[in-house]
Amino acid sequence: MPKIILDGKEIEFKPGQTIIEAARDAGIDIPHFCWHPKLSVSGNCRMCLVEVEQMPKLVISCATLASEGMVVHTSSPKAVEARNAVMEFLLINHPLDCPICDEAGECKLQEYAYAHGRGESRFEEMKVRKEKRIQLGPYIKFDAERCILCSRCIRFTDEIAKSHQLTFIKRGDKVTITTFPGESFDNPYTLNTTDICPVGALTNQDFRFKARVWEMSKTNSICIGCARGCNIEIWVRNNQILRLTPRYNEDVNSYWMCDNGRLNTFKFVNSDSRIDGPFVRRNGLLEKVSWEEALSEASNKLKKYKGNEIAFIGSAYATNEDNFMFIKLAKLLDVKKVMFARHIKEGDQDDILIREDKTPNSLGAELIGLMPINENLLNELFEEISTGKIKVLYIIEDDIFGKYENLKELAKKLELIIVHATNKNITTEFADILFPASTYAEKHGTFVNFQGRVQRIRPAVATVELDRALDGMSMSRWDKFGTPFDRWMQGKKYDAKPSWKILTSISTKLGLKIKYEMAEDVFEDIANTIDEFKGLDYDLISNNGIKIKNKAYEYIK
Amino acid sequence: MNIWELVIITIVKILIAITTLLLSVAYMVYFERKISAWAQNRLGPNRVGYKGLLQPFADVFKLLLKEDIVPQAANKTLHTLAPFISLFVAFATYAVVPIGPSINIFGKEIKLVAADVNIGILYVLALTSLGVYGVTFAGWSSGSKYSLLGGIRSSAQMISYEVSMGFSIAGVLLLSESLRPIDIVNAQYGWMWNAILQPIGFITFVVSAFAETNRLPFDLPEAEPELVGGYHTEYSSFKFAGFFLAEYANMIIASCLIVTLYLGGWQIPYIDKLGLNATVTTILQVGAFLFKTAFMLFVFIWVRWSIPRFRYDQLMNIGWKVMFPLSLVNIIWVALLIMIFKI
Amino acid sequence: MVAKKRKKNLNFFERIYIVEIIKGMILTLKNMFRPKFTMEYPEVKFEPPASYRGRPVLVLDENGVERCVACGLCSRVCPALAIEVQAAETEYEKERYPEKFEINMLRCIFCGFCEEVCPEEAIVMSKDYELVYTNREDAIYGKDKLLVPIEQLRDRIEFLRKFK
Repeated sequence: MPKIILDGKEIEFKPGQTIIEAARDAGIDIPHFCWHPKLSVSGNCRMCLVEVEQMPKLVISCATLASEGMVVHTSSPKAVEARNAVMEFLLINHPLDCPICDEAGECKLQEYAYAHGRGESRFEEMKVRKEKRIQLGPYIKFDAERCILCSRCIRFTDEIAKSHQLTFIKRGDKVTITTFPGESFDNPYTLNTTDICPVGALTNQDFRFKARVWEMSKTNSICIGCARGCNIEIWVRNNQILRLTPRYNEDVNSYWMCDNGRLNTFKFVNSDSRIDGPFVRRNGLLEKVSWEEALSEASNKLKKYKGNEIAFIGSAYATNEDNFMFIKLAKLLDVKKVMFARHIKEGDQDDILIREDKTPNSLGAELIGLMPINENLLNELFEEISTGKIKVLYIIEDDIFGKYENLKELAKKLELIIVHATNKNITTEFADILFPASTYAEKHGTFVNFQGRVQRIRPAVATVELDRALDGMSMSRWDKFGTPFDRWMQGKKYDAKPSWKILTSISTKLGLKIKYEMAEDVFEDIANTIDEFKGLDYDLISNNGIKIKNKAYEYIK
Repeated sequence: MNIWELVIITIVKILIAITTLLLSVAYMVYFERKISAWAQNRLGPNRVGYKGLLQPFADVFKLLLKEDIVPQAANKTLHTLAPFISLFVAFATYAVVPIGPSINIFGKEIKLVAADVNIGILYVLALTSLGVYGVTFAGWSSGSKYSLLGGIRSSAQMISYEVSMGFSIAGVLLLSESLRPIDIVNAQYGWMWNAILQPIGFITFVVSAFAETNRLPFDLPEAEPELVGGYHTEYSSFKFAGFFLAEYANMIIASCLIVTLYLGGWQIPYIDKLGLNATVTTILQVGAFLFKTAFMLFVFIWVRWSIPRFRYDQLMNIGWKVMFPLSLVNIIWVALLIMIFKI
Repeated sequence: MVAKKRKKNLNFFERIYIVEIIKGMILTLKNMFRPKFTMEYPEVKFEPPASYRGRPVLVLDENGVERCVACGLCSRVCPALAIEVQAAETEYEKERYPEKFEINMLRCIFCGFCEEVCPEEAIVMSKDYELVYTNREDAIYGKDKLLVPIEQLRDRIEFLRKFK
């Protein structure tokens, strides 16, 4: 491979790469604002100026192709001076808004101002005033003063979202960004612009002023919005999820995620409708009981029925571990009907990220051994319930009664309905025994996305059974040094457990000899029994996930 | 004098002795706090009662009302016993201290000493040696490293300084030719005070007395900064009060002894030349004794705020390499005095 | 332990230290008669200078609005984690204001970092040193107790402008 010499270090590059790309691959960060690895080169911020020997002037490293034997200096006096000058120009009209700006803490301009700024301004005139708090689309607030006109957001709408909705208008120091007349900035991927905006010009309306970024802990996880399974980070403060951001994974979602996933897949975790502690129906009303009581009640009642009188409905929202344990219990009770419902929203799919299948783990559920419910299976189920052949329904983590409304009338015919649920929904209203299940943000586990990629989720929010420090969850400074007497430590902890744990307890009560202490133990068992998972473990899956051992899924992108 | 009279008189003497001792301990604490404050340009306790005079009682009640904590690792018997040993030793020594010459009451001649023992000085030495047990037990039985270190330091220190103390006293005994405290006082008639005749012995005795009472600059057994209180770290409430009481009682005893042995006891030089009647003379002499003792107590406190604490090796060096030889020199000096002046 | 060599060897009289001890004792004695510095507190109160760091308070500006924009820097810099801030949006030009601003006075160590870091001169150390609470809840000061009109803080603000 050809080489360039960067700051005295010889680095290799692929032909066709620019200097900034080559440096990035070698782990050297050249300061930049407008350049983004997934966007076209614009070259307007001039921050990435470097000195190249034999070239008469400084060049911008984002638009200069590397060539064999090139000698590049990123921190020669000339380059540094130029960079400082660029910073000074950028800061002339940038307001001193950091205290009220949500970007503070993850702001490129702020970071570079520390590294390359003068510390004071020589600009004595009035700064240019522009409009602030502009509603740019449904989820975004735009602050024109803060904008440094890097055009990343414009290029994003042109090249990634392909909606071509944003543009520059006016000239000189009056330049600002706006939508085309009559247009609203409302494509399904708008909030990605808040991520790529190097300053706080575009901010997430939903997260506006909720917290400072350094107050939160972040946990690597997976979005449950659709079968894509975008890699995300969960940002938590005071045991509350405040926002989700995409996490880079070239094979799944690159740098992006959709607005729906970002805004609508975490609010239920801290909502009032969460089920807090196990419930058992007594005299027609659900009554809160102890775990022991609920578990004994479930196992005692299940014992009374034969396998063909029971139907198990698993979930594509649950993890592989949960579904695997569900099948184990089904086998123990000799249940043949073990299925799960797909949630497909026809037509809601594009070739960027969004998938029709709105569950994160339907492929996983299928691989583990659950039968996807189709029309035949559904009709058969309805019939067997109405004829009284099936007397028991065991549903985990899915609103089956909400999806198949016919069940509501058939519920009278059923003698026992056991439900695991995170939040109150139509199904929980019919439950005889209701177990509180941990949400995806409260447990370890794995999902398999539509590409056949096994990906891990990790607990970001503590439940009663979890302790941030002892269970190795990520902690902010406040979590580390807080005591129970500090108000910031008093965030609500729900009394919930992951489904596999509840199912393990019931199975043990029914005489199955298994000893699972962690989700990892369950996954080890999955890897041992199911071909597609052979040889996998949590360490291998790591942060970026890994493909299942199945030729059919090898090339799906 | 029949036996009953003797018993009654002795009991009265003991009661008076103990009451005054307890009261003076209480006010000793008060004055220590006051004088400490003055030395540091502060006011000192001034809230409880007039000028803070009731402060000692407040302190005592506070201490007694506290929870009595015995550590789990402690040896309970010894832990409880230790403060009582300390207290007993402190109070018992007081028995042989004469506070004045004989006095005539209702035609009876009464000696102003609780027990006129002919080996009084030996008795004192024996009891002070016993005092080590209180501290050592306390240190060992608490089951705490601080206490243990304090206890060990204390026993080493007290044993070391007892040697020079004993030899210093030998000089006094040579001159008075008696072990009876009253005889020793009588031997210092006029200006013939031992402090003047044998200044080296006086200094070694005073320094040893400081060391024996664990007072600054010799308070290593309870050095707060390093040992968190030393042997009484694990004591609270009444038992702690016991140690507290014993420490101050010891200070008073030490002052009394210094006065008796070196500062002429109750003697006021040439008072008999004034031709006052016997009772007035006696009262004046008792006053003189109390005044001298009070002055010595003041010196104790005064030294506390003037001289910093020794390092442990310095303490041992002084004990064995300075005080011990000096006290020997003192004996030779006294012997020479006797030889030359045939006293 | 290796003893350090002295610069100058002391002679015998210096080595017995008697003179020095007596000098020291006389000094102590002298001090006993010097005027006392004790301030008899509840009757006589300490009037702190402008440089004094009493409890931190929030400045209430002339127009009756707190200066604080809830940037959270005080909270971040606080070494004792005494400050908790929750921001919210306001119609004023400053855009954000503290919906909740709590200082746990049991945690506060009066270091004044919050004041030093504040970009809006919104939190300053007052002269108030009389802080009494009988339970943990009372020790958490909310906005009701923290907001102080700027007139009472002129002293400190002038001091800060001069020396910060």
